[in-house]
Amino acid sequence: MNDFSKPQRQSAAGIVIMAAHTTLSIGRAFIFFIIYAFVKIQSAYLIYVLLGLAVMILASFVFAYLWYIRFTFFLDKEKQEFVVNKGIFNRDQVIIQLDKIQQVNINQSILQKIIGVYGLKIDTAGAHGEEVSIRAIDETSAYNLKAHLLHKKVAVENQPELETAPQITEEAPFLKLSSWTLFKVGLTSNYGQSLALLAAFFYTVIYEGRQLLDSLKIDKNAIESTVTGMLTIVTAFILIGVLLMVLLVINMVRTFYKYFELQISQHKDTLLLSSGLIAKKNTLVNPAKVQITKYSQNYFQKKLNMLNVSLKQAHFGESKKGHEMQGNTMEIPGCNPTERDELLRMILSKLPETNRTFIPDWRFLNLPVFFKLVLPVIIFLIVALNVPEVKPFISAAAIYLIAGIIMIYISYKKHRISVSEEFIVKKSGIWDISHEIITPAKIQAITTFQYPWHKGVDVGHLCLHTAAGQIRFKYGNYTEIKQLVNYWLYQVEHRNENWM
Amino acid sequence: MPTETFTNEVIDISSLPKYEEIALQHPHSNYWKIIYINLSIFLGLIGIGATILLIFINEIRTYTFLITAIYAALIAILFLLFRASFKKRGYAIRTHDVIYKSGIIAESTTIVPLNRIQHIELNEGILSRVFHLGSLQLFTAGGQTGHIHISGIPIEEAKNIRDLLLKKLDLTDHPTIDPTA
Repeated sequence: MNDFSKPQRQSAAGIVIMAAHTTLSIGRAFIFFIIYAFVKIQSAYLIYVLLGLAVMILASFVFAYLWYIRFTFFLDKEKQEFVVNKGIFNRDQVIIQLDKIQQVNINQSILQKIIGVYGLKIDTAGAHGEEVSIRAIDETSAYNLKAHLLHKKVAVENQPELETAPQITEEAPFLKLSSWTLFKVGLTSNYGQSLALLAAFFYTVIYEGRQLLDSLKIDKNAIESTVTGMLTIVTAFILIGVLLMVLLVINMVRTFYKYFELQISQHKDTLLLSSGLIAKKNTLVNPAKVQITKYSQNYFQKKLNMLNVSLKQAHFGESKKGHEMQGNTMEIPGCNPTERDELLRMILSKLPETNRTFIPDWRFLNLPVFFKLVLPVIIFLIVALNVPEVKPFISAAAIYLIAGIIMIYISYKKHRISVSEEFIVKKSGIWDISHEIITPAKIQAITTFQYPWHKGVDVGHLCLHTAAGQIRFKYGNYTEIKQLVNYWLYQVEHRNENWM
Repeated sequence: MPTETFTNEVIDISSLPKYEEIALQHPHSNYWKIIYINLSIFLGLIGIGATILLIFINEIRTYTFLITAIYAALIAILFLLFRASFKKRGYAIRTHDVIYKSGIIAESTTIVPLNRIQHIELNEGILSRVFHLGSLQLFTAGGQTGHIHISGIPIEEAKNIRDLLLKKLDLTDHPTIDPTA
């Protein structure tokens, strides 16, 4: 059995994967140029365009081959390190200490699925957020390597006989999402992200479309005038309706794409999450490395009796490139309360009970009411009274004011922190009410602060820094906060528990 | 009864050491000189810029008085704010944690338990060297916000603190010790 102690290359199929990847990214950058070339250029020159494309693909393959030759990895058992050598022209070496590994992801894109290889990605908690991605590795090696990377310590110290045992044995999942649940999830959550996606999509379409029109010399004004001509009140409403439908459909598609057949099973002391419609994604998580456990629920989800659970892991250091942020937070949508409890028990080893709840002072309302309501409304009124065009919309201010007051009041009512000997639970939210749970051992540092004008009324703020973000409690009773801080410090310093 | 277990804790809490009552050490008075010099350089540059503008652009010359007044106000406000923040800074090293207090208007106190420190940095700037001061940075896994930066410690003391903390980190068997000096 391969134990990865010798430097080795990836599966040779990696050349194809890498070449395809390079070609695609070059192609994406020049997509409109290529379309333009095909539409505009005389057929006599088409041969040159095709030739150019061929050269591009060939170059990608050469690049991919060089990359494949130079990319080696191995496991240094002595030092407990995973070493990757790479770089086509320069020599890069990435060294990852095994105990710094957060999680190992095994993914499969469509192309990888066709060729029959897997991609393996290592997420670390190193101070510099270094990340390693192996693009082509066969299934047995992938799971084997994953097991080696994640279970190394245990294997060496306690169970040497398990070291060689392959870890692929599937256990019965304790949580499985049906398509019907996913449908409900798609209806009720993540509107914000889908909206952003939609906006980004429209922006690119309009922007690129303009450029295309420019280059094709089509009369822009004609199109613009027909578009504005079509815009009446009725069509506007229809358009909004259609947009909402599109939003819902996109939301649904995204949900299905990401979470299709999501299931969670327990492998010894780790959790295995797998999901995905076309590209199957497997993630192995060590419960001890989860920093913040969070569950949230909105009104609709409450009626449907389901929750979203997310597990946040350490993400300190420089923020990684946006699209590589796979899996610092793991989302498990559509759990019912029983499943949530089971998950919580698995991660926190017992259900968080809370003994004492602290609520914020009413001064919590002051700043948001002033800056988000009073100030904007005053500015709006001043503008409205002076600009006749805006005057008819003056009643909108009243609606804004009422909606704002209700929202701020709800956020005040929901903002609270509950504490017990072993857990800290922070509740917050306006529409999506979330509960964030940590154990005191996950605290990295504590900040308390107070404005001088709150000294007399004994109101202050608390911020708990964890490796996965901050937990804030605002406008609490400062004496109580200080007591809590002293207690948590005692817990962190006295027990000396490992946080990762 | 859940409340019963917590009442026990309340008694415990009141007998626990209180971070808010620790006598803090303040930055060395020479550190104020460094702040003073930095501030003077900054304001001097702005002053030179403003003077050049006043000399070469005729249109704004009518506002000379206003600009001078704003400049004077800026000087006064900056010096007062920095003075206030200097007065408020304080730090303390306890057996199990480091406390740092700071703030211009709001008073904030950050506490980092020693067993959560990832690495320590000791920096000396050019000006700090002249006055034999150093600044100590303690990094945790809590990211940008969860770290402590104490400026204006006499360099000998800073080195002692660093060595002390490193020794403690060794004792707690922390995986990453990075004695960057």
